[in-house]
Amino acid sequence: MIHHSIGRKLVLAAIFMMAAFSVAAEEYLSRDDFLLLAFGEQEPTMQTLWITEDTRSAAREAVGWIPHALRLRYWQAGERTAWILEEIGKDKPITLGIVVSNKQIERVDVLAFRESRGWEIRYPFFTSQFSGLSLSEDGYLSDTVDGITGATLSVRAVDRVARMALWLDAKVAG
Amino acid sequence: MRRSSRLVGVLWRWHRRLGVLAAAFALMLSLTGLVLNHSSQLGLDRSFVDWQWLNRAYGDDSAQLPAFQPGQNWVFRAANGLVYFNTTEVAPCSGNLVGALQVEGLIVAACAEELLLITPAGELLEAISTSVGLPVPVLGVGMVEGSVALQTSSGWWLANLDTIDFTVAAPAGALVQQHAAGELPDTIRQGIPAQDSWLSWERLLLDLHSGRVAGPIGVVIIDVMGVALATLAMSGLVMWWLHRRRRRPGSR
Repeated sequence: MIHHSIGRKLVLAAIFMMAAFSVAAEEYLSRDDFLLLAFGEQEPTMQTLWITEDTRSAAREAVGWIPHALRLRYWQAGERTAWILEEIGKDKPITLGIVVSNKQIERVDVLAFRESRGWEIRYPFFTSQFSGLSLSEDGYLSDTVDGITGATLSVRAVDRVARMALWLDAKVAG
Repeated sequence: MRRSSRLVGVLWRWHRRLGVLAAAFALMLSLTGLVLNHSSQLGLDRSFVDWQWLNRAYGDDSAQLPAFQPGQNWVFRAANGLVYFNTTEVAPCSGNLVGALQVEGLIVAACAEELLLITPAGELLEAISTSVGLPVPVLGVGMVEGSVALQTSSGWWLANLDTIDFTVAAPAGALVQQHAAGELPDTIRQGIPAQDSWLSWERLLLDLHSGRVAGPIGVVIIDVMGVALATLAMSGLVMWWLHRRRRRPGSR
């Protein structure tokens, strides 16, 4: 009887643990946690960038893409800017946080991933490849980024957002 | 009876029971897994399920979806997740539409996991999601003493849409003004373009494979089946090892 009781408890504990993992699988990083990683002890100020029709055309011409909204929020402390942008991988938006400093990407973080495949892009082995990259004159990143098999669309989405963050950073820097 | 024989007996009994229970799931998991491995080559991500009952089960029953009328305009979220301002497509919005209101010339469309700020021309001004601090799930949106307020499971919170701050609780006992959900007028419904097919075979197979086709409980069932299959593998190995040891010459 004792063995049965322990076995039952173990099975129940396993089920609850797996249920908890399946529920918490989407949001990886909150805005505040991302900003803490981005700026540390510095207190960034939230800024607003209005996307005029001219800005939209210029962005499309330069990097081929721009968020749909008329205004974007970003955070700034000194020369560094942090952008939280969303782009669809295959069906659902991926939320990415990009920190830019001196026209180079400092870090890329996946804040939320909602697709059923391609979540491997959240790992540092992939995101760390963007550190130090800048925007070339042709609108592409200054160096190639290795993809991940089975996550092609998510990888492309991160590439687009990284290029957009660099372009936006240059735009606000004047 | 020797201890190992008793153990084999117990293992065999449970192995058989678990085997019967897990067989159907194992077959389904292996078949869907095989097909999913080749879904792109088979074109399953580009072909769509045309069964109305299944589309309805997935929530694609646009006629039943709520619409809100802040002022003279209607806000509606179609089954494919796109929010419409009258007949103008605005943007995708995460979660079901739970409310809408008009404030300072803007329309606030509240979905369960995202807020859309819409201009009077139907353009998306800004999308505010959990990633920028939106508390979710949003259960409703209303006006409390002239400010936008969001309802969550922990109560009503004042929404500062300039600083994107939702940390100030609405005063206790304050009156909340909300728009009730209504039914989208036919004149506007007819002006909304027909929804594209969206439930792909790949999505259906993925949901079958993960159990999500039956919601959160389906995921737990598949998890349990995963544990059952692992147990089968282990009990099979132990039985094989015990059997082999018993048949070894010289073993007692």
